[in-house]
Amino acid sequence: MDFDRRAMLGAAAAGMLARPAWAQKPGTTARMRTINAMMTDEPAHLNYPLFNTRIMQEICGNINESLLLFDWQFKPKSNLARGHEMSPDGMRYTFHLRPDVAWHDGAPFTARDVAFSCGVMLPQLNPRSRGAFSHVREIKAVDRYTVRFEMKEPFNAFLLSLMASSAPMMPAHIYEGTNFRTNPYNFKPVGTGPFKFNRWARGQYIHLTRNEKYWRPDQPGMDGIYYRVCPTPEQRLVAMESGAVDLAMADDIDTVVNKRMVANPNVVARSDAFNGTGEICVMEMNHRRWPFSDRRFRAAYMHAINREFLVKAINFGLGKVAHSPIPSDLPYYDDKALTKYHYDPARARALLDEMGLKPGKGGVRHRFGIMMIPDGGGYWTRMAHYIKQALSEVGLEASLESTDWPTFSRRSGNWEFDVDCNSYGQYGDPAIGTARFFLSSNIRKGVPQTNIQGYNNPEVDSLFAKAAVAVDAAEAQAHYSRLQQVLTHDVAMLWMFERKPMFFYNKRLKNVIMGPNGPADGFGSVRLA
Amino acid sequence: MKDFLRVFLSRPIPLIGLVIFVAIVAVALLAPFVFARGPFTIVGMPLLPPGAPGLLVGSDVLGRDMAVGLAYGARISLLVGITSTLCAVGIGVLLGAVAGYYGGWLDDLLMRVTEFFQIIPSFVLLMVLVAFLQPSLSSTVIGIALVTWPQVARVVRGEFLSLRGREFVQAARTLGMGDARIIFTQVLPNALPPIIVVSSMMVGTAILTESALSFLGLGDPNLLSWGSMIGGSRSAMWVAWWTTVMPGLAIMITVLALNFIGDGLNDALNPRRRR
Amino acid sequence: MSRLSYIGARLVKTVLITIAVILLSFFLIRLAPGDTATVMAGQAGFADEAFMKSLRAEYGLDQPVPVQLWKYVQAVAQGDLGNSFVRRQPVLDVILERLPNTVLLNAFALLVAIAGGVLLGMIAARRPGSVGDASVTVLSMLFYAMPQFWLGMMAMLVFSVWLSWLPPFGIETMGADYTGLARIGDIAVHMILPGVTLALYFMASYARLTRTAMIEVADQDFVKTARAKGISEGQVARRHILRNALIPLITFAGLQAAILVGGSVLVENVFSWPGIGTLAYEAVTTRDNPLLLGIFIVTAILVSLFNLVTDIAYSIADPRVELGR
Repeated sequence: MDFDRRAMLGAAAAGMLARPAWAQKPGTTARMRTINAMMTDEPAHLNYPLFNTRIMQEICGNINESLLLFDWQFKPKSNLARGHEMSPDGMRYTFHLRPDVAWHDGAPFTARDVAFSCGVMLPQLNPRSRGAFSHVREIKAVDRYTVRFEMKEPFNAFLLSLMASSAPMMPAHIYEGTNFRTNPYNFKPVGTGPFKFNRWARGQYIHLTRNEKYWRPDQPGMDGIYYRVCPTPEQRLVAMESGAVDLAMADDIDTVVNKRMVANPNVVARSDAFNGTGEICVMEMNHRRWPFSDRRFRAAYMHAINREFLVKAINFGLGKVAHSPIPSDLPYYDDKALTKYHYDPARARALLDEMGLKPGKGGVRHRFGIMMIPDGGGYWTRMAHYIKQALSEVGLEASLESTDWPTFSRRSGNWEFDVDCNSYGQYGDPAIGTARFFLSSNIRKGVPQTNIQGYNNPEVDSLFAKAAVAVDAAEAQAHYSRLQQVLTHDVAMLWMFERKPMFFYNKRLKNVIMGPNGPADGFGSVRLA
Repeated sequence: MKDFLRVFLSRPIPLIGLVIFVAIVAVALLAPFVFARGPFTIVGMPLLPPGAPGLLVGSDVLGRDMAVGLAYGARISLLVGITSTLCAVGIGVLLGAVAGYYGGWLDDLLMRVTEFFQIIPSFVLLMVLVAFLQPSLSSTVIGIALVTWPQVARVVRGEFLSLRGREFVQAARTLGMGDARIIFTQVLPNALPPIIVVSSMMVGTAILTESALSFLGLGDPNLLSWGSMIGGSRSAMWVAWWTTVMPGLAIMITVLALNFIGDGLNDALNPRRRR
Repeated sequence: MSRLSYIGARLVKTVLITIAVILLSFFLIRLAPGDTATVMAGQAGFADEAFMKSLRAEYGLDQPVPVQLWKYVQAVAQGDLGNSFVRRQPVLDVILERLPNTVLLNAFALLVAIAGGVLLGMIAARRPGSVGDASVTVLSMLFYAMPQFWLGMMAMLVFSVWLSWLPPFGIETMGADYTGLARIGDIAVHMILPGVTLALYFMASYARLTRTAMIEVADQDFVKTARAKGISEGQVARRHILRNALIPLITFAGLQAAILVGGSVLVENVFSWPGIGTLAYEAVTTRDNPLLLGIFIVTAILVSLFNLVTDIAYSIADPRVELGR
């Protein structure tokens, strides 16, 4: 009784509604041991490498596991591989697999699966893996439980490229020799993880059940997971507040109501669940077009925008101004190497004057378009609206162009834009997630999410190449420091802010976020609190 | 004309409608002079309630003054409502007149087309049109005009069908007048009253349609319209009711005023109802 | 014209409309920038030339437009609406999965609209010019002037946010996994807000229609005769006036089916109702062309079938009506 009263008071104090009449009734034991999560929309299928998006990582992370896990300092921990060695010259990696792991259909997990996943399926389907595994010369199954990777050259981000979100192990006995895109198992995936695929009720939910034969004897701690389709942000907020859903990840909750969620006494809020992704929100410019080709214009653009305000008011304090291509809390970030662009409209105007972009009729110096991300009015749209306003203060008139995803991809891939909004994740190492946006070898017409800006700097190319193969950590750091110096001086991209998406979970659960890879490492460890 | 005004102004409802409508038009026209900095200017913290210092109706999710947004929104709503109706009336009158005047296979074809537009879910078609043309003010106007002209065409065709056999048309023909001249100088003026009534109602419908498109994110992103104000505040609704309530009220009042006027026009122009 | 050949002619019309819809949608979609391959590349977040090329070949996007159209029409004739680009499932399956939810919601809304509209119309027609009559007129004007989606949001604000009486989202309680009667009750409760929101707009027009029809019918001879025979006023209203007033209502309901479906897109979107309306919106935003085409065709066929049914019902309800035109 007393507890109820206190809970009610707590809710009232936090400015919340008392539990509505239509909300969840206290559940049965079966319901208690089930995790309810949300999907903003349904994935097309559940073939993890074929469609490596955040929603896939959150679902398939429970089904398909990786060789290694990583701790908060990005040090490797054993997972499907119980141990690994690297030769001193960095030219050979050997992995010793656990002998007691079975696929959900009962087949044993062996070296053949690793060789198939890393040698065939991942490089074919997942461009991030393709980049990473391009340094590999040969993958050898030494025996049933030992795999050896022979490298073409040392690649210091190799282990990080095996992170759960980048390199899930796929069953060779199901996929080998088939068409990966049409294999029927794309709709009933088979993995080694703590949860098994059970049912997909289209338009409603995807249900995973516990893997009774999971190789970690103390896991999974729960009976199953429901991923329920909740297309609108209001619906997701209500579902989380009413307790109908236990988890809200990344974009599930609009930042507008973040404060209200954080204040909710029934909910735990974490801002570190996506550290492994290391996401930076950026704007890209088409360097083939003037004046975007002029460094001074890009610098003026940065000076015109109050990014502190952007983070504080527009994104409700979630994140941090980005000064570097590398997120500030990840390895290789070097504050001393950076040229920073603080909010300084006068400086912006001076730079534009210097370029000869003088105010014309109505005080307008230049007109151009900003291609927006189709996020249905979320923080991307709000950011674009703010930036349009901020630019107008220095005489730049930006017209916002709304898109849908296909249009966005087509126009960015074909270089048909002036400025766009985008974001990229570092995924543990600049060589894995960041380099692809700056390398001149990755200027590929027609392909979105490459170096679409057309940024071309031979020094940057060679620095990235040298940094990736440096065996000595200090040498790699030196290259990456120089890179940050060159890239920020060039304003090679318009870095806006480091996004720190929130992860919310109901207090009734514990052990939800165990490492920087967050939900992508799966929910095997989750237990009732 | 005098007669018309007397009937129109003699009833309170059309008069109220007219007064409200004139007020909204005034707000729309004066907005750039009263609020020179435009509706996108951020004036304070987000989601401040109505009555906060300097904020008559509160601030939105970006900390913009909603009062300014509502004033500028009136411009968009009226612009879209009126221009799309004009376009639809233009197409509808032309095709309806030709079909009604000549009859025959042309008339058959037009009737099939208008029936077709009645059967298909035209809002879905409109979504497709606007999305494919890329959301902008002009694609909204074009889209709305393309799905609404058949309404006008039906009315015009009906009028022409009944008017084409009248004596004054026969007379004009015997005088050697060309078809085009007869259509535009003889028949059309006589068919005007129902066209005016239909178009006055269509302006309101077009405003509602525009708000629906903007609500779904299919509006021009560079313009703040009432619909996009609601759409952009969906997730804020649970913490800040005014962000969705106020723009909706603005739409309702505008459309209500237009419908009142339409009602008055109907009474004043329809001789059958004028007893 | 006999009833049978009348129905036959109406069926032919339905088929013609279907063909017109297919042609229109197909050419509309050709206008769109961005094809399937770029859709998928965008969703995957990355792609390369070889991948895009293989996708274009897989979906026949590398063939000339007339060939694509002919293949499409052929397939549709065999009941194959193609595969959804995004979901990689047959379009017909995707639509059929969602269709029952929309039919349920729209049928409920139509019922509420007719019942409520007739009731309000009768109240208004009883004493034209009275307070009851005036308030029905005012209400109907208000509902005409409100954006439907906003009305839904306001209903949600009042009944879910402030009063906490009704669930705001979805078709059933998430994670409750009710069965049997409990499930039916749960769905019914979820249907109230979206259903009534959708109904109110039509209720207003039905009320006006009923009112006019009843006032007109009340003046006619057969009603006067009935009154003269000493039949009670209530019975006259029910037996004679209402029956005749219902006839225009049926036709009107048929004509408005397309508008109902359009309203559905918005209302389903507001209340996250998992029906064909939300599907249509998803299809537009993800540029899922075959799905969009399919939704067009299926809704057009359904609406024109519904029109056919109401036409036939009309001819039965009022034998004075000439069949054909």
